Amino acid sequence: MATYSLLVTANPYSSQGQLRAIQFAKTLLEQGHELMRVFFYADGVLVASRLHAPPADEINLTKAWAKLAIEKDIELIACVTAANKRGIVNVAEAERNALTGNNLDPAFEISGLGQLTEAMLNSDRLITFG
Amino acid sequence: MMNKSICIVFNKAPYGSQAGRELLDIALMAAAFDMPITALFVEQGVYQLLKGQEPDILDIKNHSATFKALPLYGIEDILVEEDALQKFNLNVQELVEIDGLKTISSSHAQSLLANSDFILTL
Repeated sequence: MATYSLLVTANPYSSQGQLRAIQFAKTLLEQGHELMRVFFYADGVLVASRLHAPPADEINLTKAWAKLAIEKDIELIACVTAANKRGIVNVAEAERNALTGNNLDPAFEISGLGQLTEAMLNSDRLITFG
Repeated sequence: MMNKSICIVFNKAPYGSQAGRELLDIALMAAAFDMPITALFVEQGVYQLLKGQEPDILDIKNHSATFKALPLYGIEDILVEEDALQKFNLNVQELVEIDGLKTISSSHAQSLLANSDFILTL
């Protein structure tokens, strides 16, 4: 059994990467491996917005991640630099940047790139979904 | 567990995508954690190191000078794939001057990847 972390850089709705990452995460947990952390970087951070409203017959990736995180107690962390740049902000970042609103889904956390390095230090494998 | 090695692979030309700059940020951050890091430039990634870039014309920030700072951050293995330079008709003199920059063969690059604990590319 191994400890995994995931690095997700795929744009949520224009590529398959996020969906594959969710399925990979579910499968590795089913097989008894550990998932330490999912780190969202580049366009991958876009999934952390709670304001996505895809059509009812399509998957809501934000909710799919949130469900996994809550049920299996997994950290979902979005890179602060990548997120701020793309308009994904929590309350603190919205205040700091004098923005009119915030949109971070409560299942996600905003943090720095150090969390990605730390994930590598504490995992056997890091799998990228781009 | 502090000695896991990371190989960061730059394989895309700059500015068409942000991959180069984003990988560079990962490299600089990981360096602060004292992990042995190799920066490997392959395929079109060798263009990341080309001298005299002027992306400000495109309103894009120039990150090429930051590669020079890699050794200051403790990243001393900065390797460029020889075949890629040849393919694009470039030579080392046309690249930004980085202390310790070396060219390596594709087979050396392959064995390096095979022996790294983590391989990162975007």
